[in-house]
Amino acid sequence: MTVALVGVVVVSHSRRLADAAVELAMQMVHGDPPPIRIAAGMPDGGLGTDATAVMEAITAADAGAGVVVLVDLGSAVLSAEMAVELLDDSAPDLRVVPAPFVEGLLAATVRAASGATLDEVALEAARSLTPKLQALGAGPGPESVDTDDDWHADSFDEATLPNPAGLHARPAATVASEAAKYDAEVRLIHHRGGSVPATTPIGLATLNARMGDDLRVEARGPQAAEAVAAIIAMIRGGFGEIDPNAQPPAAPAPAQPLGVSAGRVVGQVHKLTEPMTAPPEHDRVPANAVDAEIATLGGALSAVIDEYRRRAELSAPQAADILQATATLAGDSTLVDAAAGLIRARGMDAPNAFWQAANHVAQSMTDVGGMVAERAVDLADIRDRVVSHLLGIPMPGVVDPGHPFILVARDLAPSETATLDGNTCLAIVTAEGGPTSHTSILARSMGIPAVVGCSRALDIADGTVVLVDGRTGEVIEDPDEDQRAGARTSRAPLRPLEAPGRTADGTPVSLLANVGSGGNATFAARANAEGIGLFRTEFCFLDRAVEPSVSDQVQAYSEVLGAFPGAHVVVRTLDAGSDKPMAFLPMPEEPNPALGVRGYRTSRTHQPMLERQLDAIVTASTASGTDGWVMAPMISTAAEAHDFAALARSRGVTTVGVMIETPSAALQAADILSEVDFVSIGTNDLTQYCMGVDRQAVGLGDLQDPWQPGVLRLLKIIGDAGRASGKPVGVCGEAAADPTLAPVLIGLGVSSLSMSPRSLQSVAEALSEVTVEQCRAAADAAVAATTASGARDAVRAALA
Amino acid sequence: MGRVNTNQSASVATLVEWLHQFGSLVEQNKGYLTDLDSAIGDADHGSNMARGMTAVLNQVADPGAADALFKKVGMTLVSSVGGASGPLYGTFFMRFATGLGDGTEVTPEALVSSLRAGLDGVISRGKAELGDKTMVDAMTPAVVAIEGSVASGESLADATRAGAEAARRGRESTIAMVARKGRASYLGERSKGHQDPGATSTTYLFEALAASLDGV
Repeated sequence: MTVALVGVVVVSHSRRLADAAVELAMQMVHGDPPPIRIAAGMPDGGLGTDATAVMEAITAADAGAGVVVLVDLGSAVLSAEMAVELLDDSAPDLRVVPAPFVEGLLAATVRAASGATLDEVALEAARSLTPKLQALGAGPGPESVDTDDDWHADSFDEATLPNPAGLHARPAATVASEAAKYDAEVRLIHHRGGSVPATTPIGLATLNARMGDDLRVEARGPQAAEAVAAIIAMIRGGFGEIDPNAQPPAAPAPAQPLGVSAGRVVGQVHKLTEPMTAPPEHDRVPANAVDAEIATLGGALSAVIDEYRRRAELSAPQAADILQATATLAGDSTLVDAAAGLIRARGMDAPNAFWQAANHVAQSMTDVGGMVAERAVDLADIRDRVVSHLLGIPMPGVVDPGHPFILVARDLAPSETATLDGNTCLAIVTAEGGPTSHTSILARSMGIPAVVGCSRALDIADGTVVLVDGRTGEVIEDPDEDQRAGARTSRAPLRPLEAPGRTADGTPVSLLANVGSGGNATFAARANAEGIGLFRTEFCFLDRAVEPSVSDQVQAYSEVLGAFPGAHVVVRTLDAGSDKPMAFLPMPEEPNPALGVRGYRTSRTHQPMLERQLDAIVTASTASGTDGWVMAPMISTAAEAHDFAALARSRGVTTVGVMIETPSAALQAADILSEVDFVSIGTNDLTQYCMGVDRQAVGLGDLQDPWQPGVLRLLKIIGDAGRASGKPVGVCGEAAADPTLAPVLIGLGVSSLSMSPRSLQSVAEALSEVTVEQCRAAADAAVAATTASGARDAVRAALA
Repeated sequence: MGRVNTNQSASVATLVEWLHQFGSLVEQNKGYLTDLDSAIGDADHGSNMARGMTAVLNQVADPGAADALFKKVGMTLVSSVGGASGPLYGTFFMRFATGLGDGTEVTPEALVSSLRAGLDGVISRGKAELGDKTMVDAMTPAVVAIEGSVASGESLADATRAGAEAARRGRESTIAMVARKGRASYLGERSKGHQDPGATSTTYLFEALAASLDGV
């Protein structure tokens, strides 16, 4: 005999939301689903709820066992209650359940499918938030059945849970529907305590069983043994799901301060002001004070406009144009009229009126979209400046205090970090963040010492003198003389490159810059870099949750290419993964991401993304007139080089290369060079993989050394292959910036060196003192050495 | 005019006129209501109410008995408005209908007790209290004022004028309130400084009532 199932009615403002929620719930159903009816949205497709539609849905969902009603928010609740009232005596037995919409629907559907009673279904839905509360540390413990009952198991067995996500909703639903199939009472018992009937998915989820936990299945009744065997098999098999798309967990904040970007400095603390929030409420401005309030607003606005103009005069042409445009926007009568209107009509005070007026105008601009929408950011800046001025409080964000400072913040947005001026920001200390946070990555790339996870950082008063060591993680307030030893108190001045790189005998060596943004490229141009040897495109998009559009990419790449018109610029495709996770390029969870899916390997699953990036680079090259060379990171085989070159050329790239970062690629350099037009050596990763030492490992500094003979001999193989093929070989790791290593690299066959712009002149000076002949002798001596220090000594002797 | 009467009762025709007046106030102020709602809600109050009242006014050409008319008005709003104001205004009119009787004239006492029944319906449907920044903040003082005026022997025209004035004051009082019901309650303190759209449309309801009884 078929038992009537409890019906489910889904009331939502949005038909699409309801459809999607039902789809999600139906995934959990194994066997016959209960009758589900949706009452959602308005007949014209708009958002809304309709009590008469709810009424009809309830009638249709009733199969004789009653109906539970799940509601999303606001009027959905009202409409459902109204429907119950309208149905009056003809209403089936029904419950409008106070449950979260998605969780409640899921729980109710699964439980209803198992043939549970109306009360059981309603209860299951009502407590469906418990597993999430528990998972987030806010809920009660597992709901154990009474322990003093006369439970005795006819059969039992144990299994270890293999699922990375634990016994979450889907496996719990599977267990529940399986348990319901047997003529047996089944319980699941967690080894940490907690014992629940196996037929309730929510109860199962409250066990909060994690991967590796032991679960005991007990049953009694005629089919006890079969039930236990079936469920144990499901658990051991991981419920057929070892999810290939599981997200890696976010890097946890370190328990203690962690140095993430080396360097030891002493300076005054300058705290990042927290983002602006709505101004405090005020009493209504009395009618006789309205004119004065409007005049006050006008004064503040003029001051802000003057400040924009003053900053424009002090800025480089491109920035000046932007600041002038912002000044004009601030002076637009729409803005001040709207604010004055609110003061006059609503009696708002000036800060609140301007806050609201600016937000309103910004929203209209956002609605327009395109270029206009992008100016909404400027309006937020105007708003914050005017309101700060009116309230007499400091402007939020990084404000240059006019002297070198140590920036202290809760955490930094990538955009905030990227706009930091390396000349005045001596170091960064954040209360939150971890070694792979964007702050850390950008700080390393900009050469700014940084310490993250310093929980007491926000308690340090503005102006306090602190010592920051970005290697050890030390943050010391009011350091004594001994502690200050060796610490810098100002940024080393930039020494621009005085002349293109040449050896003493006149052989040219291209001295190039590593950059990650248009701003970096402008700085590199000021340092007279001969070109860009490494443009880390991923740094443009670290803060993006979704893949940047081709036009956004074209703009970002054009800024860099445009800073070096007609020069040599090497663009590297996205190097995501490992220490640079990117939200829009999800990676599988890997115990060792440096050896996992990173760099070019991401194109195995995301080739269209790579194709779009190549298109954007080609478009930006054409638009800027600078023909960017393009290379892929993290290549291990000649076949990968072949595939990348074919793809890039098919997209219109004229000069294609790859990075050599793995020992395999180094050993096969000749094979790889026959596939591509150039190679560039990433010495940091090559050292990491050659020596088997993580770049972030501590206490192994002697092994993290490009002077190690193993690394030098790999470099020789690459250099020899470059000479034999006549194709360019560059170096773009930190080794390129080492003035004593530079002659060795040239001697090994490297033709260009790419580095931080600050190192260009010192490397140029080192090269200008040696001939190519001496470089070769130094290289031979280095490669022949058997220790890193031996190699250094041998080179010093060869160049003496 | 058929709605003129001397014994101070309100005719069904007068009540239909009330609906027309309310509908045109809502239609004229549709954009304003939606603007108010966009500040603290889901930016649909004006368009929702206008859609609902258009549907209502399409059904009142042949009004019939007072109680049946307003039951139909309530049902129509429930199924055509879409937002929370559907069940709320729908409940108001359906409860309002119950005290009107099946005639075509409504005595002042019946009108007052029907308005009170409508208000009670709104309160029990929305579970809002005075001060929660909802339509209740305009409707409660309006009904109280009309009850008081009628009890002290004033004409329905004077009483409903006092009701409209009380509704306006109630509407103004919502500006300083923190929303505790509906979508706006998610905004918490940020809902302060904004006039409640529901209280605004409720004020129109009582202004329309006063206008339809003016000169009767």
